[in-house]
Amino acid sequence: MADFLQTLGSGVLVGMVYALLGLGIVIIFRASEAFNFAIGEFLVVGTFLFFILFFDLHLPFLVALPLGLAAAGVAGGVVERLTIKPLLGRSPISMTIVTLGLASLLRASVQLIFGAHAYSFMLELPDITIEIGEILFLSESLWSAILGSGTFVLVLFFLFGTRWGVAIRATSESQAKALAIGIDSRFILLMVWALSAVCIAVAGIAISNFGSLSYMTAIVGMRAIPVVLIGGMDSITGALVGGIIVGVCEAFVGSYVEPMGLVGFKNIAPYILLILVLFIRPYGLFGTVRIERV
Amino acid sequence: MEKRAFAPIVLALTLVVALAAPSASKEIKVLSQFPMSGPVGTLPEFGMGYIDGMNWINSEGGGVNGKKITWFLEDFRYDPTVEVANFNKYCAEHSREEFLMATGYITGGLKPLIEKVNVEEKIPWLDGSYSTEIFGVEGGPDKYPYYYSLGATYGDQMKLLVKWVKENHKGKERPRLGIVYSPTAWGRDGLPEAVAYAKKLGVDVVSQIEYPYTATDATNECTALRKAKAQYVIYHGYSGAASYTAIFFKTAKKILKDVQLMGTHYTTGRFPILVCGDAYDGYVGVATRPFLDAVPREKTPMDNPMVKMSHDFAKKYRPADYAEGGKIKDMFLYMEGLTYALILQEALVRADKAGELTRLGIKKVLDEMEWDFKGLFGGKKFSYRFHTIPMVQYFKAQVKMQKVGEKEVPTGAVLPLGDWINVDEIKW
Repeated sequence: MADFLQTLGSGVLVGMVYALLGLGIVIIFRASEAFNFAIGEFLVVGTFLFFILFFDLHLPFLVALPLGLAAAGVAGGVVERLTIKPLLGRSPISMTIVTLGLASLLRASVQLIFGAHAYSFMLELPDITIEIGEILFLSESLWSAILGSGTFVLVLFFLFGTRWGVAIRATSESQAKALAIGIDSRFILLMVWALSAVCIAVAGIAISNFGSLSYMTAIVGMRAIPVVLIGGMDSITGALVGGIIVGVCEAFVGSYVEPMGLVGFKNIAPYILLILVLFIRPYGLFGTVRIERV
Repeated sequence: MEKRAFAPIVLALTLVVALAAPSASKEIKVLSQFPMSGPVGTLPEFGMGYIDGMNWINSEGGGVNGKKITWFLEDFRYDPTVEVANFNKYCAEHSREEFLMATGYITGGLKPLIEKVNVEEKIPWLDGSYSTEIFGVEGGPDKYPYYYSLGATYGDQMKLLVKWVKENHKGKERPRLGIVYSPTAWGRDGLPEAVAYAKKLGVDVVSQIEYPYTATDATNECTALRKAKAQYVIYHGYSGAASYTAIFFKTAKKILKDVQLMGTHYTTGRFPILVCGDAYDGYVGVATRPFLDAVPREKTPMDNPMVKMSHDFAKKYRPADYAEGGKIKDMFLYMEGLTYALILQEALVRADKAGELTRLGIKKVLDEMEWDFKGLFGGKKFSYRFHTIPMVQYFKAQVKMQKVGEKEVPTGAVLPLGDWINVDEIKW
């Protein structure tokens, strides 16, 4: 039983970070119907911006974090202006393809500036490790879940409790209608990319706090693919549920299936689950069902 | 008649001179390839040491009895395909008479080149691979006559770690050992030997876990080791410079508090101190080189002549990179590049002195080589008869975090536990 609870808890904790990654994808998709394949590179860039402020410039954590996230948001906005805005009005596929190129460009830039070796990364946050008998939840896991869920709640508040959020949601519903009632869709798109970059950077900081940061940390971004496809590409609830499902799936497979000899299965299990979900619900668990006339 | 006879003689002489002329100006060419980027991290130090070594050899180091070496250096990005393609390219571009030696660095590159190197080209190939399959009992000079390794096999390294466990275990119950390895040919190398040897010595292998390079969290792995009640954990088949190593050690420090962490050559050294901090403290590892590069660097002991030579070279040729915070993060890597340059020179010089500066001639001198490698092993000589340099030493990490300004930084070193061990002399 202790084993089961340990595995379930570990999965939920890491799932909160995955949910945040999923949210980063979903809000862009809702606004532009494009999929950001550069999510891993956004994660690394955002985390390195925080790294510079906190580890290199030695700013206090509570100063470095908002500044770092603001910088990540600005970086997201700049990327949108340079690469996405020129494609407005074209097919979302064009934007999606651009993000593939963007991923290569950002990856190479990070390697050029920071090199490819790992940087030690420990935030030295207060130790909140929970240890009850055989059950152990590390402080880093708990902090990553706190950061992930905290940011998730803040973003929800922003989207559903502020005028900017209303404007974003209106643009997501219909760019044309939003324009008609005086919402600057172009600016909204910029804001969405910046917001997404912030979410992804928080996830990056939470994940890096397990030990280190390098350009290879970008691989975590790929976890967002099963998260949003299981949850539904345009569903914020789906991102949350999908994140937890993927985290729990990885944890259970790592604890119970891999020891049976299926080594490495943990990495592919979420994709197998994804296929099963898509067979039953092609638009994901919470995705909007679209019926198109052809 | 005499005139008619004279013409062919002149022609023959002209031909002899024409053929002799190029051979007099024959170049001595060598190719070296290191993984300076890719999944093992950015490791330009390999190239820096090699470049400085080769430049020194050609300018002040005497060359090959006065002749210069034409050397080529490639970064194969830890990709066997690139390593193989580079070698094929150089074979196609340079003649066998000039292209005399090659070096590589990973098992993944050695395997596809078995036929090419040992049967077709017959070129002496020195490698950073410690593959048990290729250089161990099942392989070796009989099977792969042109392959040479610059270190003891992983099988021998793992067995030495098991031996250390047996000899240092306190308590009446049998020691419980866990093994964490990478899902690569490198990670799986030496495992069967270690498990069999553990059984022989009465050490229980209670867990074997594959931990991937893509890991972002090691909680599952460490929890599994805790469940198996492992007292010792060998971490094998990883780079000490990469994220996954930092994640594993930092997680293990919290979950496996009383467990002795251990490892093979590439997780012993300075880089893990930099990326793991005090989570690396107390680590016991084996290494095939003197990993004496302290943090901060000025505290490095300089009693090993080769270590001193490497530091002197780096200080002289790359002062900015050598300084703390510079590009040379780990002097082992710099020394490794230099080591390759020096062993290439030694082999070429010996072959030249023997009057047989050919691929076969170099192979002969390598097979008979007994050398102290400029004091690399504390004055002990090694023999290359089994095509490996069989010298290994135990090291223990001593790391402390110190406050420098506002920042906590790791300080310490891996320090030798005992003398160099010649694994060829051990009766397992």
